[in-house]
Amino acid sequence: MKIKILIGLLTLSTLLACSKLEENPDALLVSEQFYLNEGQALSAVTGTYRKLYESGQSIYNGLFQIGVEMATDDYEAGPRARNAHVRAISGLTHDESNDRMEQLWKQSYDAINASNLNIKNIDAMTDGQISPAIKSRLINEARFLRALHYFNLVRWFGDVPLVTEPVSSLSGEQLYVSKATEQEVYTHIENDLIEAENLPNYLEYGESDRGRASRGAAKSLLSKVYLTQQKWELARNKAKEVIDQEGYDLFESFVDVFAVDKKNGKEHIFSAQFQGNSGYQGNSLAGRSAPADIPGINGDYSDALHAEGLLYQAYEAQDTRLPVTFTTGKVSPVNGQYYALSKPQFNKYYDESVVGNQSQSSKNLSIIRYAEVLLIYAEAENELASSPTAAAIEALNRVRDRSGATLYAGGSGKDAFRELVFEERRKEFVYEYQRWFDLVRRGADYYIAKLHAAKKMLAAARHLHFPTPQRELNLNPNLKQHPDWINY
Amino acid sequence: MEVLKDASATAIYGSRGANGVVLVTTKKGSAGGAKLTYDGSIGSQSVLKTIDVLGAKDFAILRNEVLFDANPSRGQYQYLSQSDIDALGDGTNWQNEAFRTAPIRNHQLSLTGGGDRIKYFLGANYFDQEGVIVNTDFKRLGFRSNIDARPYERLTIGANLSINRTQAQIAPSGIVNSLLIMPPTATVYDADGSYTLRNPFENIFANPIATLLETTNEQVGLRTLGTGFAQYDILDGLQLKVLLGVDLNTRNDKFYLPSYIYEGSVNNGRANLGNLDYYSWLNENTLTYNKSFNNHNLNVLLGFTQQEARNAIFGAGAENFVTDELLYNSLQSGSTLLRPQSGAYAWVLHSFLSRVNYNFKNRYYASASIRRDGSSRFGTNNKWGNFPSLAFSWRASEEAFVKQALPFLDDLKLRTSFGTTGNLEIGEYQSLSTLYALNYLIGGNIATGFASQRIPNENLGWETTYQYDAGIDFSFFRNRFQFTFDWYYKKTTDLLLNVEIPWTSGYASSLQNYGSVENKGVEFNLRSRNIEGEFSWSTDLNVSFNRNKVLSIGNGDAYITGNYIIQVGKPLGTFYGTVTDGILQLGEEATKGAYTGNATPKAGDRLYKDIDGDGKFTTANDRTIIGDAQPDYFFGITNTFNYKGIDLSFLIQGSVGNQILNMNRQALEMFTGQQNASIDALQRWTASNPSADYPRAKLDPAPIFSDQFVEDGSFVRLKSLQFGYTLPKKWTKNLLSNVRLYAVGQNLLTWTGYSGFDPEVTSGNNVQIGVDQGIYPASKSFSVGASITF
Repeated sequence: MKIKILIGLLTLSTLLACSKLEENPDALLVSEQFYLNEGQALSAVTGTYRKLYESGQSIYNGLFQIGVEMATDDYEAGPRARNAHVRAISGLTHDESNDRMEQLWKQSYDAINASNLNIKNIDAMTDGQISPAIKSRLINEARFLRALHYFNLVRWFGDVPLVTEPVSSLSGEQLYVSKATEQEVYTHIENDLIEAENLPNYLEYGESDRGRASRGAAKSLLSKVYLTQQKWELARNKAKEVIDQEGYDLFESFVDVFAVDKKNGKEHIFSAQFQGNSGYQGNSLAGRSAPADIPGINGDYSDALHAEGLLYQAYEAQDTRLPVTFTTGKVSPVNGQYYALSKPQFNKYYDESVVGNQSQSSKNLSIIRYAEVLLIYAEAENELASSPTAAAIEALNRVRDRSGATLYAGGSGKDAFRELVFEERRKEFVYEYQRWFDLVRRGADYYIAKLHAAKKMLAAARHLHFPTPQRELNLNPNLKQHPDWINY
Repeated sequence: MEVLKDASATAIYGSRGANGVVLVTTKKGSAGGAKLTYDGSIGSQSVLKTIDVLGAKDFAILRNEVLFDANPSRGQYQYLSQSDIDALGDGTNWQNEAFRTAPIRNHQLSLTGGGDRIKYFLGANYFDQEGVIVNTDFKRLGFRSNIDARPYERLTIGANLSINRTQAQIAPSGIVNSLLIMPPTATVYDADGSYTLRNPFENIFANPIATLLETTNEQVGLRTLGTGFAQYDILDGLQLKVLLGVDLNTRNDKFYLPSYIYEGSVNNGRANLGNLDYYSWLNENTLTYNKSFNNHNLNVLLGFTQQEARNAIFGAGAENFVTDELLYNSLQSGSTLLRPQSGAYAWVLHSFLSRVNYNFKNRYYASASIRRDGSSRFGTNNKWGNFPSLAFSWRASEEAFVKQALPFLDDLKLRTSFGTTGNLEIGEYQSLSTLYALNYLIGGNIATGFASQRIPNENLGWETTYQYDAGIDFSFFRNRFQFTFDWYYKKTTDLLLNVEIPWTSGYASSLQNYGSVENKGVEFNLRSRNIEGEFSWSTDLNVSFNRNKVLSIGNGDAYITGNYIIQVGKPLGTFYGTVTDGILQLGEEATKGAYTGNATPKAGDRLYKDIDGDGKFTTANDRTIIGDAQPDYFFGITNTFNYKGIDLSFLIQGSVGNQILNMNRQALEMFTGQQNASIDALQRWTASNPSADYPRAKLDPAPIFSDQFVEDGSFVRLKSLQFGYTLPKKWTKNLLSNVRLYAVGQNLLTWTGYSGFDPEVTSGNNVQIGVDQGIYPASKSFSVGASITF
């Protein structure tokens, strides 16, 4: 009896000794188990695309507007924008602890790290794991995205840390990076984009791959990078390559640029992709700009037109961009009454097919489109000659012609033409995240003059850049504040 | 229930003993005839207090003032005219609309009994509590059975089983904040009887009463705990015990937002269903040996235990419903399906333990133990931790010379111990570079992507606490006074902290072993039987003093996280913020305006101290230490009186010297006219009331965290009061063996200077201690009941 009980107990206690201390998550992948085949490499890069706007107020889904564009002559924090940090940017009282600026920095580096991981890990894959063509394409897509984020960062913050390898350990060497010069960052961006020029032309992608970065996207962005650095000749030539070789064109009608059924069409070179009411993500700018007090629309009205900037008045009456870009009143979907607005509100992303929640708008957001390439060409071509050339004039007029604006007949000088191009950019790209960049790349005098004219009197030279977030300075002993933001 | 705090006593409990050990012995059966006991009570509870906010009239005046300040050209009555204001009453008191006096019911029935070889306990209980906020409640139905049997002389077996079903309707998060800031001029219902959807002003949030009454947020839980053991006496003094336990826990979450309230209107109704499925098993194998010879007493224990747990979660949802009738019961009726979510987590804990207890003549005690724990949660390099302990004590009262010298002493014991314990309270997979799924539209279709979640940390390991302890126990005058004194020093190293790292890494934080903290203190406990006899009175008093200090933090000497700083030499829970310095008065704009932090300073703005001395105030650079959440000491006193069948006892508790971050107050001192403000707004700065305490009302104040919101959290509270009457035996002996009637009150009286709902209820984590922000308010309760043994 005794022995039986003893054996029974001992068996019981040893039967169970089978649990293991190694962690093998059932529901999560671990980095070491990834990048083993082509499908995984594809989905790793898909993840990096999503970093264009990951969640909440993310770079290309609202953050650009509230964290950057508010600091211009054309935009302001609307009546429903209660976030003090956003209102601070709108009023040019932001400082190094502004949380929207922290997000610009944080989300950009998060996206860059995702690209860095893609580039390193896909590069290490063997021919047995991935076809060479897909391998090189995916690496170049990741390079394009990395270049895009660094291009934003260097323009926002000036000198920034240049992280080009994924962080793999918690060592100080990897965590506490110091800033690279603007020049070094630009060189890196150019190199990435030159590599990305090996991507396929957008028409070579099948239907199921529309929206990926293409050769045209790389060339277009590169021409803009050159333009921003005032490398006029390189900018013009690269824009010309896009115009001549990539097969893009303007839509006949401006409204089509924002049409849901014309997404990734001949004018769209690279866009952030949205799809509302599908369990996926809508374009929140539609909700942020939609009227708040019309029954059934439920808008936020937190992104508003800065009326003193006189943007609305800058259009000719017949300009077809006007009714697409702005709304002056809407019919309530609930009671059928028309409500006039006290001032024009942005309308580009307003999706008529969406009821109740405009944040589910399915309209894409253009990051670069063909109209911009034409205007880059016009601007660079003009800078290279002593007076506006026929080619420059033609490029400008193609954009004007499409929207019914009066064509430029020539006759003014180089400086006046430059102003015309900038004014055209302003009217064409309202609410497309271009205005702040266009103001600051002209320098402090220009930026300050424009903002003062729009009654934003606190604009100063330091506003050509954003301050490096205080959090980063606190955590990283090797990081220095931008000189304009020390003892301002 | 028994509480172990001594270092060596807790060491054997390893990772689960870092903060002391509470041993709960469940009710066991007892030999003898069956005994049936019933205990039932009914009562009610209500909120301790409400926060004073502005009424409609005062709010309207404030809003007019704000709008005039923002846009003087439009005049002084942009919101309401003077005659409209005069016609206003108090408006809606949102707290009164939501808070209520709510009933509590409790019934317990148990049956115990058994014979020589078998003992049993059977119990059932039902608890039903409505919340102090409308449409919140909690119900529990439980059953328990404990059985011990001795089928053979040397074999004991036992089984404990408990099953509990809980059902709760839970208040949506953030509701308390909404109740405080919803403007009093808004009404719960429109003129046509439908709900007011939301705050009518710029700061959008939903009508909290509609949210509370119309949202379904139900949680139903079912938990089954079972253990079985067998203990066998192999030889005299040598016992083998094998225990098996299982814990099964499922929870179903049911959620519906109807289309006719604000949160539901944007998506035309939203339904979510969630499911949590938890399972763990435990196996303990111990071998003990007891031997006494010639005044030597020896007890040796060897053991191996293992535990494994698995947790699976699942959630699904839908939006856009044509009817609100079906609630969450028909997800497929929603025209927009939300992406389903699921997850699975598992952990394993292995432990080897050994302990030797020895004493000589019950006078000299020594004990040594070592425990080796391995947890799956840590990095590959540091899964295992060793936790030794050592203890000595001397029962001096057993010595002849002590007995002679101090004859009034009944007991005198000197103790000292050293022990280590580990902490593994982190989530699963925290050392691994896991990936998470995210999606993007490629070619117009949703494509699944993956992205990295964290930097791997294979060195992540145990947080270890080393504790030294010395104490003395003595009792005298026939145990009339029992006195205990303890001194301790605890050092916790390799603190498990989620450390912020530079964003340039691509990540925001990383869980690391990142610092050390010490706690030292003394504790007194006095038990006194003041009066004995037919009328008796006894008092139990305890006082604890603890001092907490950070010894190291990462590579530096300070680390700022939110409104806190972790700084070497300062306690954990140290608040870090700006310091207010009065109000800018008329004429001071040019001289002091730079200390408001506003680009365009105006009289009435709040002034702040220029900590860094650069001639201006900025929130980033002018912060300093403004208090901490650690109390100087805390105490409890219980007095118990008995006279014939009457018993009365009350417990007074208190905490002195701790501070609280009253974040509700920060929201209520914004004075924006877009949301309601605290009654202090009546003292705000205006040209005719040049207040030095409260700033002017304005549309766009930046929320600045300052010492204004740090408050003394000291309190003394009548925690419980109990009055009972046991019916004389002669009345009941024929029917019942014992009947006691009682009345119990909880939190009936509180003395505190703290202005929030309750000084005792604060939230936070191990670093961010003592925050009061939108917590479900604490309540006081009163109930009456009867306890009957048949």
